[in-house]
Amino acid sequence: MTETETQTETKSFYSDKLKRAVHLLFFRRGKMPGAKEWELKEKVGKNYQQVLDQLGTMLSELDLEIKKVTEPASGQMVSDESGVQMEEPRYYVILKGSLGLKEAKMIGWRIDNLAALSGIIAYIVAKQGKTPREDVEKLAAQKYGRWKAMTLVDIFLRAGYLEEDDAGVMSLGWRTKAEVNLPALMTKMTEGKA
Amino acid sequence: MIVEEKPKTGRQPLAAGRKELKEVIETCDAIEKRKFNPFFLDVKLGVDTLREYFPLWAEFEDNCLDAHALNRLSEVVRLQNTQLKFQSSALYAEPEFVAKKFQRMSEKRLAEVFLQSWHPLAELEQLTNEAVSSGLDYWNLLLPIQERWKRRDYARGKNPESADDTTLTGLGIRGEEFEAHLRGLWKELTNLQNSEKGPVDYWKFIKAASHQETVQRAYFVSFLVTYGFAKMQIGGELITLIPNEQPTNKPAEGGISVPIAIPSEA
Repeated sequence: MTETETQTETKSFYSDKLKRAVHLLFFRRGKMPGAKEWELKEKVGKNYQQVLDQLGTMLSELDLEIKKVTEPASGQMVSDESGVQMEEPRYYVILKGSLGLKEAKMIGWRIDNLAALSGIIAYIVAKQGKTPREDVEKLAAQKYGRWKAMTLVDIFLRAGYLEEDDAGVMSLGWRTKAEVNLPALMTKMTEGKA
Repeated sequence: MIVEEKPKTGRQPLAAGRKELKEVIETCDAIEKRKFNPFFLDVKLGVDTLREYFPLWAEFEDNCLDAHALNRLSEVVRLQNTQLKFQSSALYAEPEFVAKKFQRMSEKRLAEVFLQSWHPLAELEQLTNEAVSSGLDYWNLLLPIQERWKRRDYARGKNPESADDTTLTGLGIRGEEFEAHLRGLWKELTNLQNSEKGPVDYWKFIKAASHQETVQRAYFVSFLVTYGFAKMQIGGELITLIPNEQPTNKPAEGGISVPIAIPSEA
């Protein structure tokens, strides 16, 4: 077998697997988008990581990237070394760059909603990832009034940016963990000028 | 500090011990729910309290309480450890500082800050088995269109008509009669406040013999509040009214609209 033939075989092998990985990552099958590690292992094969690397290279040309999100089973914000039991990682395709204000409006976001989301996420992060719902509503109410604050919190809960447990304690939702670069947000928030 | 130091004079009664252990547990629970900083509780003092009462416990329930308190204290120690790690991370910022920043920054600036660190998901939505199944259930429960139109016909009321000044005055929602009614209601509210020596409950005040009268009173109360005859205070589910001594008779500046649904049984 010549070197060219080997290259062709490898290419076609990956092409098929790449398609399967794209289907898993882009098309929503259940409540949440993206794919879990076991799904990729099952449908793409043991070498799914290499397939994802190759797909990532291709997607980067389109300003997209594959993000692996691992979160602790308890939903708390802790580092990987803490020994807390972790859930299986989930892979998402996210925008590599960022959107401008006009683009955000075009995809259906109101500026005041984005502003409120920014403040609420930063506040929950500052409270180590968990805070009572009343505190979040009080924070938003000082800027938007009580009724709008309650509506906003409900919108963010439905969208998956926030989560609330039975005791009324709020934490960051799966969407925040997947989409928001928290260290960058906190740095910009603390440096931000009025 | 929540756990107060107590005099070390002999054995405390069992009841006092149980009370102190319950206080320790409650404080630990509040810390776990992020109501207090984990360092708010002196863990050593908590452990000393447990140690002091431990020889007294003979009942099974008391030993369970002791074990539960120890478990809660260990959770606080874990949270203290997490807090120290968090403080040394890039995410650390004082919550009060973040709250102040949020209040001071303009909406546009806040949105820009968010957009710079936001990388939205790229995904394609499609029909799932679950969505098709719930759609089918909805379709099967849906009545034929003729049936639904029949229902709408029954529900249709009188067509809207224009009303002139005489009609509105006759209905008591315009003119001198309207203002006299408002003043009467204001006096009634003032008298009720004087007799109760405090704010008047909204529902108690608007409640009348029939639903129609209740809605009418709620309608007039909305004018009392709007035109500065009274103030409305909302605290959770409790809505109270406080009459103003000198009605301004002008719409209040910076007021907000508060929708209140009046159930038919009210």
